Amino acid sequence: MIEVRLFATFREGRDKISYLEPQGYHTAAEIIHYFRIADDEVAICLINGRHSKLDSSVKDGDVIALFPPVGGG
Amino acid sequence: MRYERQILIKQVSEAGQKILANSNVCVIGSGGLASPVLTYLACAGVGTLSLIDYDTVTDSNLNRQFLYQEKDIGKPKVQIANEVLSAFNPEIIFHPIYQKIDKTNITEMIKDADVVIDCVDNVETRMIVNRACLQQNIPLVEGGVNGFYGFVFAIKQEYPCLECIGYGNTKLKPPTAALGAVVGVIGSLQAVECIKILLGLEGVLYGKLLNYDGLIGSFETVEIQKNDMCEAHLFVN
Repeated sequence: MIEVRLFATFREGRDKISYLEPQGYHTAAEIIHYFRIADDEVAICLINGRHSKLDSSVKDGDVIALFPPVGGG
Repeated sequence: MRYERQILIKQVSEAGQKILANSNVCVIGSGGLASPVLTYLACAGVGTLSLIDYDTVTDSNLNRQFLYQEKDIGKPKVQIANEVLSAFNPEIIFHPIYQKIDKTNITEMIKDADVVIDCVDNVETRMIVNRACLQQNIPLVEGGVNGFYGFVFAIKQEYPCLECIGYGNTKLKPPTAALGAVVGVIGSLQAVECIKILLGLEGVLYGKLLNYDGLIGSFETVEIQKNDMCEAHLFVN
């Protein structure tokens, strides 16, 4: 399974943690589209804690963390 | 005695209190995060506090920036912060610096700091501060908010930085939504991390992105990794 953790406003109307069957997803972009999140809404995409571009490949066992812009003061 | 209650904490004690008194912390940005950061560091007896900001108080600040009052509108924030904090704890030395940070002046501004705390509201300045702290090997405490959410983490050379996690791609659409109480949570956590660093305690949030979700009342930590291709780290080495 691929574990997907959403943070901040991405959680609104969605589960904060989801588990997806790996067969249906080849890239991080395909996963964010599953959640109906647009590419340009993603500020940070981490795959197993590492910064990753949205065209990065994903595989079974990966943990993906997605963040919208957060940084005001 | 002013510090009696925190000297009772075994991780602080009288020895730690002396360390705090001899410490120098630079806070960048004097907005919502800086209000609790500066207040709690002044309370704790951190001996020297520098505050860098180039902004004046507006009425839209007052929902979260509790160092300022309506009568302060239009005045430089560093001036008011100086007055408030000096009255709050006359034992500390406070350096208000009314200047805009850029790549050419950051090095000089933070060179004496034991810790830098980033309380700015824009990505560009955060990236400048991030690189400067890495370059000078000064621990940096980051914090940010958006509505009911916020994050905190700590940075130094051996650990991931803002550029490692791709934060530079963040496109904030000002003004960022901000609830005073949430900003207070995040700023308070930044002050805690700073005090831990100054005291040499373990458990600092290096390599750990602590996320606060105020809507469900939870804290979650995401382990983050250094990026071998991080230009900020390559720039240092």
